[in-house]
Amino acid sequence: MKYTICRTAAQAFIFSVPGAWPASGNANCATIQSSKPLALRERYLKIAPLSTESSIVTTVAELSATPIRTQARQQKPTFRIRPTKGWAAINVRELWKYRDLLWILVERDTKLLYKQTALGVAWVVMQPLIAAIIFTVVFGRVARLPSDGAPYLLFVFCGLTVWTYFSQALQHAGNSLVRNAQLVSKVYFPKLLLPLAQTLRGVVDFTVTLVVLLVLMAIYRVPPTFRLAVLPVFLFFMTLTATGVALWFSALSVKYRDCTHALQYFIQVWMYASPVVYPISMIPERWRPLFALNPAVGFIEGFRWAVLGHSVLNPNLLCITIVMSLVALFSGAFFFRRAERGFADII
Amino acid sequence: MSDVAIAVKNLSKSFKIAHQRDGLPGYRTLRDDLIGLPQRMLARWKRNGQLTSETFWALKDVSFEVKKGEVVGIIGRNGTGKSTLLKILSRITEPTSGGADIYGRIGALLEVGTGFHPELTGRENIFMNGAILGMKRVEIQRKFAEIVAFAGIDKFLDTPVKRYSTGMYVRLAFAVAAHLDPEILLVDEVLAVGDTEFQQKCLGKMHDVSAAGRTVIFISHSMEVVSRLCPRAIWLHEGQLISDGPSDAVIAKYSDAGDRSAIQT
Repeated sequence: MKYTICRTAAQAFIFSVPGAWPASGNANCATIQSSKPLALRERYLKIAPLSTESSIVTTVAELSATPIRTQARQQKPTFRIRPTKGWAAINVRELWKYRDLLWILVERDTKLLYKQTALGVAWVVMQPLIAAIIFTVVFGRVARLPSDGAPYLLFVFCGLTVWTYFSQALQHAGNSLVRNAQLVSKVYFPKLLLPLAQTLRGVVDFTVTLVVLLVLMAIYRVPPTFRLAVLPVFLFFMTLTATGVALWFSALSVKYRDCTHALQYFIQVWMYASPVVYPISMIPERWRPLFALNPAVGFIEGFRWAVLGHSVLNPNLLCITIVMSLVALFSGAFFFRRAERGFADII
Repeated sequence: MSDVAIAVKNLSKSFKIAHQRDGLPGYRTLRDDLIGLPQRMLARWKRNGQLTSETFWALKDVSFEVKKGEVVGIIGRNGTGKSTLLKILSRITEPTSGGADIYGRIGALLEVGTGFHPELTGRENIFMNGAILGMKRVEIQRKFAEIVAFAGIDKFLDTPVKRYSTGMYVRLAFAVAAHLDPEILLVDEVLAVGDTEFQQKCLGKMHDVSAAGRTVIFISHSMEVVSRLCPRAIWLHEGQLISDGPSDAVIAKYSDAGDRSAIQT
């Protein structure tokens, strides 16, 4: 369903990209009247140690043993609640503190996705496989697109292994905040976990797809090489990229529900802007550096290099891909943190 | 006093209520924002930087202190900022001005069953809900038996909660929340559900929590519960703190005012 060629693809661009600026501008307005000095960092960094005993026991013990330290502890708040504005740091420490919740979210969504389905996990395999067969017929047989000498099905499946991860991760992570609106407005936790859990969950499906890819390699008698060992590295940067883009979309969709609709068009346009159904050799040499700004290009080419073995991997292209994936991640994370403080009020 | 748990200073929170222009939906679309941008800029320039939309103060200049181990009830009519106050204290939303200092680990229970998923089993939901409320996985494992016993649902532990009765659902949800071990517990009206027996159990649990020296802030519309559970009460009206003191005195004032306004209208 997500591969169907759709109406005005350009719409996706109009709706999605410029939305960034009005959102951040307005998020600011709510906190403009702050009068007190800001204590932005302190709010997040000072977290009380988890005490398993009742607090009275600990306090008494501390009082008798080290009265000075107790005094100090009482004067320093666990956290200060103050209006904040502007950019906020990514609080890695707090994310780490909530890691249990992250894994439980990943677990939950993995379980939920295929509950009450007859085929269950088979869908993970079917989605890219059916798409690969359709593409082989349409683009391989009918349109006769080149595939750099490889069997077209295997060629397109390499691209789809990468692409299925992107589209699934983006769709689920991009809508994660809106779907969990109740959580966002009723409990305190780093909201970044919601999209992050989705992009991490996609890794599970990706691994299953990878097994199918290996089976296809065996069928087409393509010998596996040591190059397959770099796939986890590609996967790592793919996750970063998907997370970064998903953070933009999820944060924007809290304010503008347009984003949930625009997202699917964005994903389609992005797919055709990436060499999933065609080889990069169809792009004129001088345009390739520009083309490589799309991080998916590097990943798909990397996969074909590792699996099919006979294409040459351009190191410049890889560098651009890695830089772009980091740009996506950090811009997404900072934008998300900036928008985060308004989530509970406007979702 | 040095053993303060919560110090709230001049806390205010405002919401901008955009007046809906002829039947537009409540949420914003990007298109509306882009089209309205020149108009808004013009309006802003005309009014010397003031915003055109009306500002609604959910909380205005609220200050109070809560000491460690105190149990405080918050009373007031609907829509007077009680829940907003707890949302700010639990860091879900930010204040517009003023602030609060919190000394200790906070646990907030603003709604029963937040994060419960109907498709998941009771067992899975206990872990989900516990983690959302800020518990660690090992912590939940340690208290698992206790939670199940409190909720009394051991037979249905592996049934999806969508097949639970409302009562079972609520019991399980409260059981998880009741086993949170925060130093400061914020509770929004959650006891309005469940049968009398379970309500008694919950009240008992809340009493245990406060007896263990924890700080509790508790919203309720039941004056009986407030006077029984909380020695101190705070009365909020239209975002402002009207009265703060021994709960019996505050409740008396509150019901007096309620009677008077009932006669007036």
